[in-house]
Amino acid sequence: MIRVENLVKEFGGARILHGVGFDVGERQVLGVIGASGSGKSTILRCLNGLERIDGGSIECDGVRLEAGLTKAEYQRRVRELRRKVGTVFQHLHLFPHLSALGNVAEAPVQVLREPRRDALKKAYELLEAVGLAQAAERYPDSLSGGEQQRVAIARALAMRPRVILFDEPTSALDPRRTNEMRALLRRFAAEGHTLVVVSHSINFITGLADRLLYMEGGEVVEFGDAQQLLNSPREARTRDFTQQAR
Amino acid sequence: MKRTLEAAARLASTAVCLLFLTPAAPAQEALRWGADPSGGAPYVYADPSHPDTYIGYEVEIADALAKAMGRRAVFVPTDWETIVQALQRGAFDVVLDGLEPTEDRARQILFSKPYYVFNLQLTVRKGETRIGSLEDCRHRVVGTLSNTAASRLMEKQGIPFRGYADPVGAYRDLELGRIDAVLMDVPMEMFYARSNPRLKPAGEPFYKGVYVLGLRKGDEKLKAEVDAAVDKIVNDGSLETILRKWSLWNDAQLELRAASNPNGGAAAGESSGVKFEMTSATFNWRGAILRLTQAAGVTVLIAFGSMFIALGLGLLLALGQWKGAAGLRFLCTAYVEFFRGTPVLVQLLFLYFGLPVVGISMPNWLTALVGLGLNYAAYESQVYRAALEAVPRGQWEAAYSLGMTPALAFRRIIFPQAFRVALPPMTNDFVSLFKDTSVAFAISVWELATAYREMANASGEFLLLGAIVSAFYLAMSLPLAHLARRLEARMNRRRAVLAVESEVAA
Ligand SMILES: Nc1ncnc2c1ncn2[C@@H]1O[C@H](COP(=O)(O)OP(=O)(O)O)[C@@H](O)[C@H]1O
Ligand SMILES: [Mg+2]
Repeated sequence: MIRVENLVKEFGGARILHGVGFDVGERQVLGVIGASGSGKSTILRCLNGLERIDGGSIECDGVRLEAGLTKAEYQRRVRELRRKVGTVFQHLHLFPHLSALGNVAEAPVQVLREPRRDALKKAYELLEAVGLAQAAERYPDSLSGGEQQRVAIARALAMRPRVILFDEPTSALDPRRTNEMRALLRRFAAEGHTLVVVSHSINFITGLADRLLYMEGGEVVEFGDAQQLLNSPREARTRDFTQQAR
Repeated sequence: MKRTLEAAARLASTAVCLLFLTPAAPAQEALRWGADPSGGAPYVYADPSHPDTYIGYEVEIADALAKAMGRRAVFVPTDWETIVQALQRGAFDVVLDGLEPTEDRARQILFSKPYYVFNLQLTVRKGETRIGSLEDCRHRVVGTLSNTAASRLMEKQGIPFRGYADPVGAYRDLELGRIDAVLMDVPMEMFYARSNPRLKPAGEPFYKGVYVLGLRKGDEKLKAEVDAAVDKIVNDGSLETILRKWSLWNDAQLELRAASNPNGGAAAGESSGVKFEMTSATFNWRGAILRLTQAAGVTVLIAFGSMFIALGLGLLLALGQWKGAAGLRFLCTAYVEFFRGTPVLVQLLFLYFGLPVVGISMPNWLTALVGLGLNYAAYESQVYRAALEAVPRGQWEAAYSLGMTPALAFRRIIFPQAFRVALPPMTNDFVSLFKDTSVAFAISVWELATAYREMANASGEFLLLGAIVSAFYLAMSLPLAHLARRLEARMNRRRAVLAVESEVAA
């Protein structure tokens, strides 16, 4: 589903990602772990086209981004890519002027041109699915952090993406909510989505990810099967991180 | 105190004269006379070839009168519209500016004997065929000077007219087609319109009025002096010489000569035996309130119209400055700096007087509406810009991630949020705009400020009319200001909630 090769990203001459490579199969969950500043969020931002890559390539469900493309062609492909990829940001970025229902239904109506009634009905079902049916008419500033997060997830799901990117989905959750979130994400994978989940919490990732990518300073330290990487890592640095972060 | 000072000054000047060994001329008392020299030809105006000196037939009459009184004429430039008030405040001793005796002025000041008999003349454009007399102007707009025999005559007959501050503006607007005719005293018509190839007189001169000098109530001694001087220059032919020189002499003036034999108590419409017509500003409060309400309507129209322009154009300017290419960004910034850096009054005058030079002419109310709109667009663009920049970048990114194009993201996500932020300052600007509509008086738009000035000048009711006009302004601006405060409070509450939430999240 996703294949990333030799991905390079620079900010003003400073190289942030040094040739990152990994792949994710359909319906798989990829966990991206690593210390703060190691480049996890930047990988996600490259995957949904918010950052233009400076080297290597990204292939996702048949759409291929390369560093050498013209600006117009890159933009065209990014638009295509965004039809397939949904994102739940760390800071959510809910639309404060729309109700929970409006947040979820806005893009299906405006981008997919779904009839308003259908879109609202579907949005309501999605909110129901994440356990927020009773909050549909409320505005983001009256929702708790966990409720806001579930609105953001419903908003991404409404576009029916094949791939969903999550950046630190547990940063605003208490432990009980963390377990619920893990179950929810597992369900999405079972329902046919491919997930990339960035987290610095080993606890959360354990039992969720099929594959794990451990990042340090913009480089891949280790990439492989989640069980194996957690239980018997090849690299000492991986072991240090997973044990420390546990 | 003042007298001793004057005496001292006289003493000093005498001393200076002695010092220079010139024969000491008998110290002459001044006759300070007030008149409006702007657009004041042929009465009194700045000499085109020596702009620092004033000329005009009334300058010469003032000199002749002063000579007859053994005084020295001193000219005090003033404003026609407030000339009676300036006289009462003591800015000068007499008004000598084509002043017609009217009943309402008679309540405020004294009149001298008449020194000139005038008629009114209607003027139209060269090609005009529909207008042959004032009666044909019932459904047209006639220009004239505010608070003159002509304006009062039309007010009485119910003919729609527009009051100007000087004849130049009236005849220019007639040429431009902003009005259909101009009614003016013959001296002005002769000087400003008779030789203009694009204009022609409509019908014969009509109406018979007189010019007198105006004096302060209680100045009976000076009035006797002035009346004697008028008689003298009427009878010794020096007045005729002056009027002939300025091509203002006609047989009607002979009546003054016959009348100057001091033998009659002056009744209304008859001064020393000269029969003349007299207009009066018929001030009634019902009519006044009605006209003020009309003026308030114009104010509202201008305020809403210009705010509409300001909001639309302001958004385009903000977008150009924010996301435009370098050239566009420069143009937008130049626009904003120009309109914020120059007075709105000058901008209006430029639009009204300058644009017709290149063939663009708008009626005055539209000029005010467009001018204020262009001006406020500069301010609103900055309100928008600040508001747009206040929307976090994450909102764009979330919209993009959902597949929105930049245009769609702006329309559905960014703009609605920015608009909320911009609404309180915009409402505040709207309140200021309401008050700023008063600059439209500079181009004679009949809005509240103009209405106040003209009606108060005509009636002397400065206090009461002022109170009513203020009440009108407040009735419009207070609800808006209240709305602005409520919006602001709501914005602040929302911001406080967000701040608490982000603290909790951190
Ligand atoms: N827009 C940017 N401009 C410059 N540097 C950036 C930008 N975004 C991220 N970085 C840098 O890239 C590095 C990786 O950041 P990020 O991907 O956010 O790390 P993580 O999500 O793993 O904490 C950090 O050193 C950060 O300072
Ligand atoms: Mg991050």
